[in-house]
Parts: sequence; structure tokens; C-alpha cells
Amino acid sequence: MTHSFDRALNTVGAWVLALVWFLPLIYAIWTAFHPGAYATRFDLLAPLTVENFVNAWNAAPFARYFLNTVMLVTFILIGQFVLCTLAAYAFARYAFPGKSILFTLVLLQLLVMPDILIVENYVTMRRLDLVDTIAAIGLPYIASGFGIFLLRQTFKTVPKELEEAARVEGAGPLTVLWKVYVPLAKPTYLAYGLVSVSHHWNNFLWPLIVTNSVETRPVTVGLSVFSAVDQGIDWSIITAATLMTSGPLLIAFLLFQRQFVQSFMRAGIK
Amino acid sequence: MSLVRKVGATLGAAALSSFLAGGASAVDLQFFFPVAVGGKAAETIEELTNEYAAANPGVNIDAVYAGSYQDTVTKTLTAVRGGTPPQLAVILSVDMFTLIEEDAIVSFDEVSKGDTEWLKAFYPSFMENSQTGGKTYGIPFQRSTPVLYWNKEAFAEAGLDPNTPPASWEEMVEFGKKLTKKDANGNVTQWGVRIPSSGFPYWLFQGFTTQNDVILANSDGNMTNFDDPKVVEALDFMIDLSKEHGVMQPGIIEWGATPKAFFEGQTAMMWTTTGNLTNVRDNAPFDFGVAMLPAHQRRGAPTGGGNFYIFKDSTDEQKAASLDFIKWISAPEQAARWTIATGYVAPRPDAWETDLMKKYVADFPAALVARDQLEHAVAELSTYQNQRITTIFNDALEAAITGKSTPEQALKEAQMQADRILKAYR
Repeated sequence: MTHSFDRALNTVGAWVLALVWFLPLIYAIWTAFHPGAYATRFDLLAPLTVENFVNAWNAAPFARYFLNTVMLVTFILIGQFVLCTLAAYAFARYAFPGKSILFTLVLLQLLVMPDILIVENYVTMRRLDLVDTIAAIGLPYIASGFGIFLLRQTFKTVPKELEEAARVEGAGPLTVLWKVYVPLAKPTYLAYGLVSVSHHWNNFLWPLIVTNSVETRPVTVGLSVFSAVDQGIDWSIITAATLMTSGPLLIAFLLFQRQFVQSFMRAGIK
Repeated sequence: MSLVRKVGATLGAAALSSFLAGGASAVDLQFFFPVAVGGKAAETIEELTNEYAAANPGVNIDAVYAGSYQDTVTKTLTAVRGGTPPQLAVILSVDMFTLIEEDAIVSFDEVSKGDTEWLKAFYPSFMENSQTGGKTYGIPFQRSTPVLYWNKEAFAEAGLDPNTPPASWEEMVEFGKKLTKKDANGNVTQWGVRIPSSGFPYWLFQGFTTQNDVILANSDGNMTNFDDPKVVEALDFMIDLSKEHGVMQPGIIEWGATPKAFFEGQTAMMWTTTGNLTNVRDNAPFDFGVAMLPAHQRRGAPTGGGNFYIFKDSTDEQKAASLDFIKWISAPEQAARWTIATGYVAPRPDAWETDLMKKYVADFPAALVARDQLEHAVAELSTYQNQRITTIFNDALEAAITGKSTPEQALKEAQMQADRILKAYR
């Protein structure tokens, strides 16, 4: 009796939370597909339109921006995977002088707000002569403290026996990493990849600051054209633009939903 | 073969054009601009810069969209500290002291080499925020001032003369009471007036203080006046619009949603920037009027918006070219086009005498209201450490509006905090 009551309560709770989470999205979809006059009025028979999307698409060179964003998140993700894997492997399985100090420094990075480093990063990018390139947007994020920490923890859970078995077969350190550790850490990679991609897909301030031209700017910069406070906000076009820019991410998530949820459970990010 | 010839021809043309430009190679200028009024503004700026570049082959202008005003100043200061400042930028007029303190900008007196006659062409009230210590650091460009918009149909419906806006605080309350409509359950369906207070409440509140004949900060930018009894009185009145008279929605009111609320009849009057004029004209489904803000001890309103600045860390050639570009884009003809495209107030009297502008105002006399109000306008609140001071002041206003603190208490604390910061600049 109490059990079924408990269960009903859980279900209701889940539904309520899901609805609350989903409401802004529903509003965005409603507003984006209707003329401006219906933005704050609900009328089931309101005429549908895709004009908002057309207007939003034409307000900025979004095709180019999308390409830039895709290149950016791919570049960051590959860079992070390579660098964090190697670093995490060293921290997890090797003893070397200064290891704990170095690891503390990596952890310290988690505590520093990236916004504080904007000027410093900018100066570095200028010295490298990279201002106004996609590389400049991505480079400061490649050595991700979070990624190193997460992968190190995962690698530590891999039984030593597996590594020893591989060694007996004659595998070198990199082969062991590639054949033993990486495959076992797949859920972590998937989970971390999702967090990284969605974070950099949505990042705004740093890309705005370090880039100047259409050829390098990501979609978020295009999106900001619509938040013109002086003139009041046109909800229809803003929601259309938001759906458009976050659309690829949403669709990708829905497609891979099952894998993502599972990998989150296994990787322990909740 | 043909490729080689083409390259040769291009090089020849480039050499020729740089020869025509005085023998020097082309000057490259980077220009950061913010957009606070929708997509059309960005288009117009690019159109104008392209036009200038076409007429001046010796100059290349790279116009870079830099986000909101806030983003633009962040981006610019980062670039300045990083050693690659733009040559020129449009940034809020109130950020002048910040830019001076960062040693980022040069005065126009210096760049103009003594020829400062042209600076007199601009409205003095716009220059208040552009000058300090006897020097001019900014050239008014996308400048605005708040005005009152009213719904003529709602006025007629409430038995008011649709062509007479409220002229005083008392009238605004009196009209507001007639205009506030409630449904059977006592819920308000139409408010009398809407004065947005989210984000940067100090700006419209400065309308009230100016009308109550008190100035919020001195022109040296190192002394504020937040706890003056007249400022307290002004805040009391603003809050009483909701609390005492019930003609305005209580609590914090959103800026961004204000024009929409006006279009949909949720309010019969609104205070907002002239930067909205084109938007209201295009979207209001009823006949509307535009008036100066109502008066109390006097008429008054702050100015607002962005100025052109020239950055220090550029070559003399770049500075001269920037100056020439700014002179061109702020000239009457261009200023008129900019005003018509956006609703910003053309910053000089002669812009209003151009044929283009005369035609525009003949068709749309409401555009003149903001200009006429300039006579009564004062500098927008601006001090050293402007971000921090306005944040303190905004927080105080919000605390009073939401009832967390009394106006007197909130303003007193704000003044104390501001004093602590500004002491170093006296």
C-alpha cells in the first residue's frame, strides 16, 4: 500500500519536474512558430509561420557561424581528449617527482573562474599572433583540469592486472593506454564530451572578445544581435533564433540519449 | 598567365590608389561598435563605413560588431590591456572616466591639433558627458534621451484629451488613475504608466531627480549626491506611483518587455528611450503620441547612449584618419540618416536642417520631441569607477522599489559606499 503510494508520488514528482524544465522550451517553440502578435497570447488556432526563422537566419551570417562553431567544438574536443588522456594516464599510473604538486595545480584550475583570465589569455593569444582565429577561442580550454581529473579517476579504477597482462603480451605504455585504458573509459569520454561540446557551443564572452570577423565567430555572437535592450525584445525572433542555434545540440542529444544517460550513470557525473 | 596578369593588374591598381592617397600606404582602422537597437543598426553602420571607405581609398575600416554596450567596453578594455586596442570605438558616454583612468583614449583637442571649432556644432547637453577637465574625449553618436509615449486611443477611452500628455507629476498621477483599468476580480488589465526599472533603473530615475532639480554627480566625476533630500523625495514619488496611487505595476519592471506591453495595451503610457521610436512607429497598432517627460520643479531628463572615442595606442596617421572618419560620420547628412534608421537623436542642430531630416520630421513630428527636450537635459550619471558606482546606486534603487529598504535608508547607504570609492579621486 505505502509502496504503491510512494511510487505514484515519484511518478507525479518526475512529471512535474519534467514539465517545469520543459515549459520554457514549449514556450519557445510556440512563440517561434507563430506571428509576433501571439507571443504572449495563447490561441490554439493561431496561424503557423516559419517567417521568424527566415528573419532570424537572415539577420546574421548564420551558415558561416554554424560552420565556425562546429569547427571550434571539434577542435576543442579532440585537443582535450588527447591532452587530458595523456596527462590523466601519467597522473594515474606513473610516479615522478613533483607529481602531487602538479596534480594540485591541475585541481586548482577548477577553482579559478575562466572570466578572470580573459586579459591574460588575450595577451597570450596576441603573443602567439592568434587573435581572431578559431584556435584562439579554443586553446585556453584544451588543458582542461576537469577532464584530467575525471579521466585520472576513471583510469585509477582500471584493475592493474589488465595492464600487467597487456605488458606480458609485449605492449608498450602507449599501446596499453590505447588498448586497455581508453576502451574502458568510454562512458567517461562520452559524458565529458557532451559537457565540453555543450559548454563551448554556448560560450559567448571569450569568443566575442578574441575574434573580430565573420570567418571566426561562433553562433552565440550571431545570436546576441537579437538581444537589443534599447528597442525592446522581439520574443518571436529571439526564440526562433535560439531554437535554431541550439537545435543541432538538442537533436544530437535526443538521438544519442540512451548512451548519454547510461554513460553519465557510469561515469558518475550526475 | 591570366592569373599573373590579374595579380599584376590588382597590384597596379593598389599602387595607384595608394599613390592617389598621398603616396603613403593604406591606413587600417579597426572600429568596435555595439548594437543596442536591433539588426538594422548594424546594417546602417556597415553601410556608412563602406561608403566612407569607397570615397577614401587610402583608408580601410574594419567595423567589428562587439555585442551590447557592456560587451563592447569589456572587449575594448581587454584589447587595450592586451596591447592591440582598436583605433576607434563607440562606447557609452558614461564610460569616459573609466577609459581615461585606463589611459586608453586621447582627447579630441590633441588629435585635432588645436582646431576645435567643429566640436561646437554639437548640442551642449550631449557634450556634458563628453568633456571633462576642459578637454573633449567623446563625440556624440548614438545618443538618446528618455521620452514619454502615450496611447491616444486609451486616453480617449478614459475621457482624456488624446492630444494632451501629462505635463507635471501631479497630472501623470491624475491621468494614470483614470487610465488604470481593472476587471471584475479587481485585477489590473491596463496600468496608467510603465517606467521600467530592471537592469539599470538609475537612468529613468534620473528623470525624476532632474525634474526635482537635483544633480546626481559632479562633472569631475568624483562626487555623488545620492542622499540629497530631493533625491529621496524623487524616489518616494517613483515608488508611490505603485504603492500610494496604484497607477503603475509594483516591483521591478522589465525593460525589454516594455514596448511590447505598450503595444498590447497593458499600459497606457510608458517612459523609455527615443532609441525605441522607430520600433514603436512600426509596431504600435494604435495612434500614439510622444512627449517630453513630465515636469516638477523643472523639466528634465538625462541623456544616454554612446560616443566615439579615439584610442591612444595608434600611429599618428591612424589617429588622423580616425578623426577624419568621425568628422564625416557625425556630419549633418550622415547623422540624419543614422537618426532616421534608428530613432537616436541627431547630436547637432544642423543635422535637423538637412532636407532628408526635414522630410522625415514633416512626416513624423514625434521625432522632434527628443531634440526639443535636450534643452532641459543633463548629463547621465557618470563617475570614476562608473561600473561600481552605478551598481551601488542601482542596488539601492532596487532595494527601495522591492520594499527591502526605505528610500532614505537605501540612498544613505549607497552614498556612503560611493564616498568610500570616490575618495581616492578627489
